[in-house]
Amino acid sequence: MVGLDYVANAVVSGILIGSVYSLVGMGLALIWGIMDVINFAQGDFMMIGSFVTYWAFTLAGVDPLLSIPLSFLVTFALGVLTQRVVIERVLDAPMVSQITATFALLLMIRYGAEAAFGPYTRRISVPYADVIFRIGSVSLQLPRLVAFIVSLGVALAFYVFLKTTYTGVALRAVSQNRMAAYLMGINVRKMYWLAFGLGVGISAVGGTLVATFLPIYPEMGGFYALIAFIVVVFGGFGSVFGAYISGIIIGVTESVSALFISPSLKDVVAFLLFILIILVKPAGLFGTEQR
Amino acid sequence: MGALRFIREGLSGRRGLYFAIISVLMIAAPLIFWKLDMPFAANAMLLCLMFSIMAMAWNLLEGYTGQLSFGHAVFFGVGAYTTMILMLYYGITPWVGIFAGGLVAALVGLALGVPLFRLKSHWFALATIAVGEIFKLIFISWDYVGGSAGLQSPIVPESQKLYYLQYAGSYVYVYLALGFLGLELLVMYPLVRSRIGYYLQAIREDEDAAMSLGINPFKYKMVAMFFSALFTGIGGGIYTVRFRFVDPFAVFDLISVSVYITIAGILGGIYSFVGPIVGSFVFVPISEYVRVYVVSRFPRFYGLHVFVLGAILLIISLLAPEGIMGWLEKKGLLGGGEEER
Repeated sequence: MVGLDYVANAVVSGILIGSVYSLVGMGLALIWGIMDVINFAQGDFMMIGSFVTYWAFTLAGVDPLLSIPLSFLVTFALGVLTQRVVIERVLDAPMVSQITATFALLLMIRYGAEAAFGPYTRRISVPYADVIFRIGSVSLQLPRLVAFIVSLGVALAFYVFLKTTYTGVALRAVSQNRMAAYLMGINVRKMYWLAFGLGVGISAVGGTLVATFLPIYPEMGGFYALIAFIVVVFGGFGSVFGAYISGIIIGVTESVSALFISPSLKDVVAFLLFILIILVKPAGLFGTEQR
Repeated sequence: MGALRFIREGLSGRRGLYFAIISVLMIAAPLIFWKLDMPFAANAMLLCLMFSIMAMAWNLLEGYTGQLSFGHAVFFGVGAYTTMILMLYYGITPWVGIFAGGLVAALVGLALGVPLFRLKSHWFALATIAVGEIFKLIFISWDYVGGSAGLQSPIVPESQKLYYLQYAGSYVYVYLALGFLGLELLVMYPLVRSRIGYYLQAIREDEDAAMSLGINPFKYKMVAMFFSALFTGIGGGIYTVRFRFVDPFAVFDLISVSVYITIAGILGGIYSFVGPIVGSFVFVPISEYVRVYVVSRFPRFYGLHVFVLGAILLIISLLAPEGIMGWLEKKGLLGGGEEER
């Protein structure tokens, strides 16, 4: 029998790790929602964020939390470049070209990193890694708690940005109707640069946060991309806010179910759930024939 | 016989001549490789043929029917495991086992088609990725099929090598794969030239319009799935007899099976009947060359071969989404403007 303490601990750690899943999912949802492009390489842009943090820490001794802006900016720039060089050209192409183009990015980023850094697993040992708070029987690791707070802050800032600033409103307008937004004088092309840059940049912040308490490796994107896809279909397609909540739900589900079922079976359940959601979730999912 | 008529038509004129020349070259090549002792070339040719078989099968779903699958590793793996289990546990010859593997894969394909064909466009593609991962995880924790350690072919005495299809090097297997590719052409060409082939293309172009003309999309997608899975499973069986070792990480791999098949198909051209074969014969040698000559010599750069494939896929997606055959056709280099679809 699993004790209540274990469940409480699992819920808390699920919320904390889930907040990182939320960031990766939010980035995917943003790009998907605004441009109607599925970025298969989302997890790999997150990996870039992790590695920026790792190298900043290892080579220059920059604390992972201080490297968040660096990781965001590097990935943002790469995202804008990707949008200009790759995504722009396939926006109006058949679905198969869009999918293969982002899949090609996945292969190039993931295995380029593997060839450059080696397939090894790396860790960042921050001095505060082992600081643990206890609230009753629940224990909180400091890096995970920090990750949660930062993730919440990023999500809120992003929400405020989308709702209140001119640029945020313009972004949402572009996602609703590209042509109408264009006629209103919005530079759609630049909005798309921004959307892709922001989308992968937010995921890279998730990558930085994860690097403070979990091992990182070039192929890590595979796992997080899967999580991001589950987060997005669960939270409702294209909804950034929904992605944040569902990331946390996925995190809790994952860590609680780990108490009861074996790890490999757990992943089978996750994949089955994924297929089930896209099968049974009504209109808005299958109903939307893209082009 | 309708099928024979289609084949006779397909081989008429210059196309028949090209087909004859290429066939002779293909049959002669392994002998030359064997005489000159070129095991690497023979192995690369075998892989080209295996990927030709599977990419062509995959393309029946993508190019003809418009259903992009990233889950063909499922059929490859099921075919490989079926052939292996029949041989290892029941002593059944792979001559039967390869066909059985194809058939089991086809049945798995039909079973998966029931839920998956309710999904459209990229949702279908996403779901096939998930199905592939599910199969890998199940086979990893399934003891009967050897779990994560996989299964190994029995070691057999010299006298039984024909029964168990165990020969040194790739030379003999090249002929095996050639035979199956020939069989596939005999099945696929009449199929896509028949009414069914046009139904499939109608479904690809506009499913609702096809339905309004009285075509049942689900039924014909299932037909495409059956043949697609069948020949991909046969590819798995050939893998088993050649490499004599089957493990879930290798045969259910998303990248090195499902995505490689996709790259071969897209590189050659998905709107061309022979495109996937052309794609395989371009893509596999590049991949094998980088893997064997660069990565094996400099293990430090492991992953470079996949990076190169990613770059090829990116260039194709951006510059020539119609693939090599489509590009040649556009440039008028295929002659006669023959409609190859």
